[in-house]
Amino acid sequence: MKTPELKNIFKPLAKSWDGFKETILKKYGEQPGTMLVHTGTLGWILSSLAQIAAIVFNDKIPNEQKVFLIPQEFADAATNILSFYAVTYSGKALASKLVKTGKIRNAKISKFLDSIPNLDKSKIGNWDFDVTKQAGFKTSGIENDFKNFKNGVDVYAGLAGSILSSNIITPVIRNKYASERQKNTLNRMNAYKMKNMQAPRGISMENYLNNVYANSSSLKI
Amino acid sequence: MVSVNPLQNRIVASTPFKMPNILKKAYNALPSFETASDKFMTHVEKFGQKCTSAHQRGILGATALLTQPFIDAHNKSVDDKTRKYSVARTIAKIVAGTMTGVAIRYGCIKAMGCKPFLPKKWEGLAKETQAQYKNAMGTIVSLVVMLFTNFLIDAPLTKFLTNVMTDFPKPDKGAEK
Repeated sequence: MKTPELKNIFKPLAKSWDGFKETILKKYGEQPGTMLVHTGTLGWILSSLAQIAAIVFNDKIPNEQKVFLIPQEFADAATNILSFYAVTYSGKALASKLVKTGKIRNAKISKFLDSIPNLDKSKIGNWDFDVTKQAGFKTSGIENDFKNFKNGVDVYAGLAGSILSSNIITPVIRNKYASERQKNTLNRMNAYKMKNMQAPRGISMENYLNNVYANSSSLKI
Repeated sequence: MVSVNPLQNRIVASTPFKMPNILKKAYNALPSFETASDKFMTHVEKFGQKCTSAHQRGILGATALLTQPFIDAHNKSVDDKTRKYSVARTIAKIVAGTMTGVAIRYGCIKAMGCKPFLPKKWEGLAKETQAQYKNAMGTIVSLVVMLFTNFLIDAPLTKFLTNVMTDFPKPDKGAEK
């Protein structure tokens, strides 16, 4: 009797799981470039969280270095995530556009375009030109070759974008930001120390002098 | 583009994003490029099919080792000691992150052949689509796995490698106060 109840409990979960699988298939099954950009961005978010925790809980790093490294990590995370998505996505989108308009093409695509009657060849590669909207694109068998070529260029562009953003743009920006933060924080820490050193705690100068006089008057000479 | 707003029952005209003419002209002026070599063409197509997120992570890690420590080592706006820490941590982070990232992504993508992860009508899909699906699903699953391994493996490994490379003595607790 228990089995059908359990089945009822897991039915919606199984349905959601199936739906999720279908979404992944639809969204990324034919777009590896887009998948790499999206999962890459998510990956940076998660690993940044872990790296920040690693500094916070590392007692071998002195506080002065932590003051630099923690903001460095936050800056790293923010710039990494933003620049990764912006640069990589832009690179991929530009590559897609170049292939779609025929600006970058392989021999098969050129052959297909040459075979289209009455096509104004001067328009190939222009912003408004679209290879996929040409007559015979779906029937001539070029669709699959085009898709494979476009995916390849997309992945290369995405990879180039991710290297540029994660390995060059991010380290430069985060170092600049983190060193500024370190200077400000160290200045604040020093100011705090100085403030505490200026007067003895818990007693005012007036009280101190009163005590001194009181003690000295009770002295018997 | 014209659409009907169901709430107000009005016809709303929305203009799609239009590229400014000057940028269009600049784009149109770019020279066209045709991949003449069949070998190169095949390589590009195969790379698109075969490149998984594990490959991407590996390539990113390898190039990161070439650029990031160099950038950190030339950061003149911090003192020498901090710079040393920064370089050591960057190297440790790249090594730890790349090792676990590649291994977990690779393992998860391989594991996507199991039935619970496959969508309906799996058999009817083209081989390339099947491979891309496994790549995508494996990467997403690996991100979930890495939620834990980031804390259990990455972070302690980064900490260990940083300490090995810097070998600074533990700060005196009394001195800090």
